[in-house]
Amino acid sequence: MITLNRVSKSFGGGGSHAVRELSLQVKEGESLVLLGSSGCGKTTTLKMINRLIEPTSGTIHVDGRDVTKQDPVVLRRTIGYVFQGIGLFPHYRVIQNVEIVPRLMGWPPNKRRARVREILDLVGLPPDEFSGRFPDELSGGQQQRVGVARALAADPKYLLMDEPFGALDAITRDSLQQELKSLSKRLGKTTVFVTHDIFEALTLADRIAVLHEGRLQQIDTPKKILSDPATSFVRELFEKPAQQLAAFQGGD
Amino acid sequence: MGAGWLECVSDWMSFAIDRIPELWFRTGQHLVLTGVSTGLAIAIGLPLGILASTNKWLRATVLGAIGIFQTVPSLAMLAILLALVGKIGVVPAIIALTIYALLPIVRNTVTGIEGVPHEVVEAARGIGMTHGQQLRMVQLPLAMPVMIAGIRTAAVVGVGIATLSAFIGAGGLGQFINRGLALSNTQLILLGAIPAALLAVLVDGVIAATAWGMQPVRQTDKHSMGARLKPVALAMPLLLVALGVYAAFESRSPAASHTGQTVRIGSKNFTEQLILGELMSQMIEAHTDLAVDRRFNLGGTMFCHEALTAGEIDLYAEYTGTGLVTILKRPVESDADSVFNIVRTEYKKQFNLEWLEPFGFNNTYALTVRKSDSREKGWQTISDLASSSETLRAGFTAEFSERADGYPGVRNAYGFSFAEVRDLEPSLMYQAVVKGEVDVICAFTTDGRIAAFDLQPLTDDRHVFPPYFAAPVIRLGYLRAHPEVREVLARLAGVLDEKTMQRLNFQVDEHGRRPSDVAREFLSEEGLLTQTN
Repeated sequence: MITLNRVSKSFGGGGSHAVRELSLQVKEGESLVLLGSSGCGKTTTLKMINRLIEPTSGTIHVDGRDVTKQDPVVLRRTIGYVFQGIGLFPHYRVIQNVEIVPRLMGWPPNKRRARVREILDLVGLPPDEFSGRFPDELSGGQQQRVGVARALAADPKYLLMDEPFGALDAITRDSLQQELKSLSKRLGKTTVFVTHDIFEALTLADRIAVLHEGRLQQIDTPKKILSDPATSFVRELFEKPAQQLAAFQGGD
Repeated sequence: MGAGWLECVSDWMSFAIDRIPELWFRTGQHLVLTGVSTGLAIAIGLPLGILASTNKWLRATVLGAIGIFQTVPSLAMLAILLALVGKIGVVPAIIALTIYALLPIVRNTVTGIEGVPHEVVEAARGIGMTHGQQLRMVQLPLAMPVMIAGIRTAAVVGVGIATLSAFIGAGGLGQFINRGLALSNTQLILLGAIPAALLAVLVDGVIAATAWGMQPVRQTDKHSMGARLKPVALAMPLLLVALGVYAAFESRSPAASHTGQTVRIGSKNFTEQLILGELMSQMIEAHTDLAVDRRFNLGGTMFCHEALTAGEIDLYAEYTGTGLVTILKRPVESDADSVFNIVRTEYKKQFNLEWLEPFGFNNTYALTVRKSDSREKGWQTISDLASSSETLRAGFTAEFSERADGYPGVRNAYGFSFAEVRDLEPSLMYQAVVKGEVDVICAFTTDGRIAAFDLQPLTDDRHVFPPYFAAPVIRLGYLRAHPEVREVLARLAGVLDEKTMQRLNFQVDEHGRRPSDVAREFLSEEGLLTQTN
C-alpha cells in the first residue's frame, strides 16, 4: 500500500506549486492511474514516491514505512519504474538492461540470467532472438517492452509507470496496453500509472485520480467518474471524448 | 618540370636514407615524449574533468585555469619551465606537453559527461544506482567517444608541439627541424617535419582504430568483415608501443651507451655555434678518454646559460659581449681585454663558471646593407645612414631588437631610428635584404653570407657594439675533475680569425655541408687532431 498524506511540492522557493495538499491511497494489487494535462503535477507525484523528487511538505508511506526515512538507493531498487523517455541504457544489450536491478542488488549471475529469460518471455520478446541486441536495434514498441521487463526484473511489489506508451503509434500502444493490463492482473503488482490519455486511463485503471493544477479533483473507479463527476473540471474532461465516442458509434 | 621535381624527391630520399639510424632514434624519443605526456595528461585530466562536471563553479574554474595555460606560447612555456625546473632536457619538455594536452582532455571529458541524455541519467538514478554507479556504469561509458576524441586531439597536437622540445635539448624529431633552421637546410627541416606529420597521422589513426575496436559488435552485423577486424583494431596501440621501443633501442645515442666518463657540450641554435661545438667535441674525443654528449641546438643564450648553471651541460662557447650585456647586465664597453676580464672575474664569482682562452675571432654585430646601395649612396659607416633613416626598413633578429647593445644602443648613440623594424629569423633576414624586402640587417661579422650575398657591413664609428670574442665557458667543478679539458681546448685558442670563421660558416650555410664534417676537415688541415706530446 502507498499512502500520500497532504503532500505538497513547490519549486523555486515556494513560488509555484506543482502539487498541493495531495492525499490518496493506492491499495494492494490495485492499478491507479494519475490522469491530468501536462503541468498538473502527476509526474511530480510519481517521482516523489521513489524520491526522485523530495516533497516540500507532507508524508509518503510505502508498505507503511516513511520513504524519507529510507535510503533512496535501496528504496528505488525495490520499486519498478518505467520512464517516460524509456531511458534504456544505449551501451547495454537487452540482457544487460533487463538484469541491471538484480545486478545492483547482488543476485548471483545464473539466477540473474534465468530471471532475464523468464521476464523477456513474459513481455513477449523471445530471449534467444532479443537478449543480445542493443536498444537501437529494436523498434519503439520492443524498446518499451524491454523498459517494462527492466522494471519487473527484480520482482518488485510496486510498479511506477510514467506515460510509458506516449511515444508509440496508436496500434502498438493499444496492444501494449492490453498486454500490460493482463500482465499486471496476473502478477498482482500494485501499480501507479501516469497518463494524459483518457482512453488509456479508462483501459488500464482500477481507479483513476484526476489532477488539475496540483490538486486532486476526484479519485474513483472509471465507471463512477464517468457517471458522477465530482467537479466541473472532471465533467468537461470526460465530456468531449464521450461525445466523440458517441458520434463515432452513431455514425457507424 | 616533372623530372626536376622527381630529382628533388629522390635527392631527399637518399639524404634521409643516410640518416636512418638517427631518424629511428629521434622517432623513438618523439614517441616517448608524446606518449608519456599524453598519458600523464589522461591520468590528470580525466579525474579533473569528472570533478569539473559535478558543479558549475568548478567547471568554470578548472576550464578557465587550463585555458590560460593554453594561451602561453609554446616557446615561452619552455623558457618559463626551464627557469622553474632548472633543468634542460626531457623533464621540462614533458611538463610543457602535459599542460598543453590537458585542455582537450578535460574539456571533452566535461562535454562528454554533460552530453549524456538527461533521461538516461534519470533512469540510472531512478532504478537505484548510487552516484558512483551512475558515473561508472552509465555516464563514463556513454561519454567515452567524446573523451577519446579529446585524447586524440591531445595526442596529435602533442606530436606537433613535441617538435619544439628540441629547443631545450629533449631531442625528438624537432632536432632535425631545429638543426635545419639553424643551417637553413630544407632537407633537414623536412627530415623532421615529414616523419612528424606521418607520426601524427599514425597516432590519430591508431587511437581512432582502438576506439572503434572497443565498441561492441551489433547483433545485426555480427558476421560482417568489420566485426572480425575488431580484435585487430584493439591490438593497434601495441604497434605504437613496439615502434617506440624498437626505435629507442635500434639506435642509441653514443653517450648513452658509453660506460666511462662523459662531457656534455651545449650550443646555441645557429651555424657558428654548431661548428664551435663540433670543434670542441672532436678535440676532446681525439685527445681524451671522455665521451661527448652533444646537447646542441639549445634555443638561445638563456637556454644555454641556464643549462650550464643548472649543471645540465658542462660547457659551451659563449661570446664576451653577450656575457657582459645579456648575462651580467653590465653597460657596454668597447675595450676587448677589459670586457674579457670583467666576464671572467664575474662569471667565476657569480656562477662558478670559467672562461677559457678565446678562439680568436670577434663575431660582433654589424649593421649591413646591400653593396649596391652602399656604392650608390656612399654609405661606409652607421652615421652615414642618419640622413636617410626615415625611409629605411630594417630587419633584425628578435634578440638584436631587444638587447641594450643592439638596436636600442644604436638609437641612443647615433640619434636616429628606422622607419620600420621587422623581427626576422636569422636565415630569413639575409634573404629579406637580398630580395629588397628590407634595407638594413644586423649581420654578424663572421657570417659567410656577407661576402656571398654581396653585402656591405658598415663601420660602427661610435663603438656601440661591444667586442664579441668567442670562448669556451665551462663549469669550474667539471674543470677541477677533468683538468685535461682545459689543455685540449687551449689548443683551439687563437686559431680562428674572422675570415676563417666566415669560411667555415659559409661551408655549412651555403654548401649544405655538415658542421661535423667542416669541423673535422679544419682540424685535420691545421694538424690539431694529431698528438703533440
